[in-house]
Amino acid sequence: MRSDDLVYVVEDSDVDVEAIERAISRSHPDTRLEFFRSGSAVLTKLADDGERPWLTLLDLNMPGESGLDVLNGIRADRALDGVTVVVFTSSENQDEADACYAAGADSYIYKPMNFALFQSVLSQTLDYWRSRPAGNEARIVVPPPGDSSAHT
Amino acid sequence: MGDSDSGWAATLHRMWTSVGRISARDDLAGLILPPLQALPGVIAVWGLRHDPHDDTVMEYRATGVPLDGDLYDLARRLGTGEIPVAGGELADLGVTEVVRARFDLPGEAAGTIMVLTGAGADIDTVTVRLGQVIEVTREAIRLLGVRRSERAQQTRDALLAEASLQMDAVLDTKQTMQRVPRMAVPAIAEGCLVYVFEDGKPVLRSSVHVDMRRLNALLRDPAVQDHLTHLVGQAVAGAEIPPADTALLATRTVDVQVLRPRGEVVGALVFLFDRDVTAVPPQSFLRDLSSRAALAIDNGTRYERRRRDVVTMQQHLLPTRLPEVEGLTVAAAYLVGDRILEVGGDFYDLVVGEDGSVAALIGDVCGRGVDAAALTGMARHTLAALLQEGASPLRAMSRLNSRLRLDGSWRFVTAGVAHLEHHADGVTVQWASAGHPAPALIRRDGAVERATGGGTALGILAEPRIGRSEIALAPGDTMIIFTDGLTESRDSDGVMFEETALGETLDRLRDLPVGALVDELSRAAAAFEGAGTDDVAILAIHVEREN
Repeated sequence: MRSDDLVYVVEDSDVDVEAIERAISRSHPDTRLEFFRSGSAVLTKLADDGERPWLTLLDLNMPGESGLDVLNGIRADRALDGVTVVVFTSSENQDEADACYAAGADSYIYKPMNFALFQSVLSQTLDYWRSRPAGNEARIVVPPPGDSSAHT
Repeated sequence: MGDSDSGWAATLHRMWTSVGRISARDDLAGLILPPLQALPGVIAVWGLRHDPHDDTVMEYRATGVPLDGDLYDLARRLGTGEIPVAGGELADLGVTEVVRARFDLPGEAAGTIMVLTGAGADIDTVTVRLGQVIEVTREAIRLLGVRRSERAQQTRDALLAEASLQMDAVLDTKQTMQRVPRMAVPAIAEGCLVYVFEDGKPVLRSSVHVDMRRLNALLRDPAVQDHLTHLVGQAVAGAEIPPADTALLATRTVDVQVLRPRGEVVGALVFLFDRDVTAVPPQSFLRDLSSRAALAIDNGTRYERRRRDVVTMQQHLLPTRLPEVEGLTVAAAYLVGDRILEVGGDFYDLVVGEDGSVAALIGDVCGRGVDAAALTGMARHTLAALLQEGASPLRAMSRLNSRLRLDGSWRFVTAGVAHLEHHADGVTVQWASAGHPAPALIRRDGAVERATGGGTALGILAEPRIGRSEIALAPGDTMIIFTDGLTESRDSDGVMFEETALGETLDRLRDLPVGALVDELSRAAAAFEGAGTDDVAILAIHVEREN
C-alpha cells in the first residue's frame, strides 16, 4: 500500500542523512522519512507487502549494493511501479546519469554543498513529483543514448 | 475592558505569536479559524484562498461545518459575493447572518474569511474581531512572503557561488555545458537547456529537467524543436524574443538568456518553469547566472583551441614520418603534457646518413613556450643535418653545443645519439649522451635492462662532456630511448615512474610490436602521473630476426 506521506531515503553518509532530515522536515513537515543505510536494507523492506513510500531518495555510491542496483531492483518489481525514484548524488558522471535514466530513475538530481541550496533542491523535487499524477504509467526503460544523442 | 475583551486580547496575542512561527501558509488556518469559531453564536468559519491570476478559489478551509459536496460551491459563491449572505441553504444550517472579510496582498494569493453566525451572535463583535483576525492574517502572510523571498535570495546566492566554483573547476566545454543545467535544476527552474551557435544556427548541446522522461518526450516533437530553435535564434540575433508557446512546451513560464562572453554571442540558455510565476527568479539573477555560464563555456573553448594549436605546433617540430631502415622496425610516440598550454621542447628523429649509416637522436630543451620551440627546431635540425652528412655523434653534439653557446641562450639541451652499425650478429650501438636518460633494453628472452647515460647537458660548458658507451643488440632485441618526461613522471606520493613502474611496465609490454609498445608506454606514464603529465618522447628500435 502506497503512503502519500512516506519517503524512503537510502543514504550511507551520516552528514547527508542529517542534512536531508533537516531539510525535508523544514520544507515538508508532514512528510515521514525512513532512512536506510544500505541498498540491501531498503530492498528487503520494499520486498515486504506492507506500507510503501510514494518517493524514494537514492544515493548512488554506497558500499555493497549501489544505488543503481537498488534502482534496478525497484523497477524489476511491478508492484513498486507507483514509487517515484529520485537519484540524489554528487556524482558528475554523465554516463551514470544516463545509466540511471535508462534503468528507470524519475529524476537525477545534483547534491549541492550549500545547505540553503540543498534544501531548495529537495523541496522543489518533492513539490514537483507531488504535483504529478501518482504512479508512473509512462515509465519506459530505454537503452542509454548513443553517440547520436545531442543532449544529456 | 470586560472579561470577554481581555480574553480575546490574549487570544489575539497568542494567535500573533503562533503565526509568526509558521513556515507555510497551509499551517495558518489551524491557528486563525478556531478562535473565531469559539465566539458565541458562531456556527462555522470558512476560509478561501484565491488564485492570484484569475481570483478563482484554489483552497478551502473550514471549522464548525466541514466543507463537502455542494457546500464547496456554496462557500465559493458566498465568498465571491455571487449569492447574498442569507438564503435557503444557509438557513438549513441555522445560519442567520454571514460576516465576510477579504484581504489582498500584492504578489500573494488573496484570502476570504466567512463567519457563519446563528442565534445569539453579536454581529458587531464578530465583525470587529474578524477584522482583527484579517489584519493578523495579512501580516502573517506578508512575513511568510518576506521569509520566502529571503530564502529564495539565499538559494540564488548559494547557486551563483556554487555554480561559479563548479564552473571554474573545469576547462572542458562539454562538461561545463552539462554542469550549468545540472546546477540550475531544480533549484531555480524545472528545466534548463543549453544551446550553442554552430554553423549559423542554434544547436542543443545539453539539457536537464527534473523529469527527463517528460523533457525527452517533448524534445522528440519537431514542433517543439522548431519553436525552441526559433526562440533561441531570435535571442541570439538580438531580435525581440516572441512569447513562448507555453502550451506547446507544456510548461508555465519560459525564459531565454543569451550567452555572451566577452561581447560575442555563443548561444543561449532556455529555462523552463513549472512553478508559480512568483517563484520564478528575477531577470537580473538569470542574466547573472547566464553571464557566468557564458564565461565558463568561453574559457573552455579558448583552452581547447589553444591546446589544439599547441599540439599542431608540436607536431610540426617532429618528423612527419621516420625513414624505413632494412632490418630494423622503428616506432615513436609523443605525448603532449596536460599541465601547461605551451609547446614543450622534446624532439627525436631517425637519420640515414649519406654513407648509409643510421643514427637515432633524441633530446629535450629545458623549458616551454615559443623560445623553447624555436630552440627545439634548431637542435633537432642541427643534429639531424650533421649526422646525415656523416658527422660522428660526438662532433654533431659538439657543434650543437657551440651553437647554443654562441646564441647566448640560457636554455640547455639534454640529448642522446645512437649510432647504429649492422653486422652479421645484430647491431652495435654507439651511444653518446649529453646528460640524457639511459636507454632501456628489452632482450629477446624478455629480460629488461638499462644502458648507461652520462655526460652533461649541452649549452652549459664550453667543452661538452659526452658520455659514451656501446650497446650490443642481437636480433629480437629492442632499444628504447626517451626523454625524462617518461622516467620522471611522479605519482601523488612523489615517487618517480622510473623508480617503481618502468621495469614492471616494460616487462608487461615486452611482447608487443614496437608501435604498440611506445603507445602503451607513454600511456602508462601519463596514467602514473595523472593530470600533471609532462611531455614524453619515446623512440623504439627493434632489431628484426632473420627469417
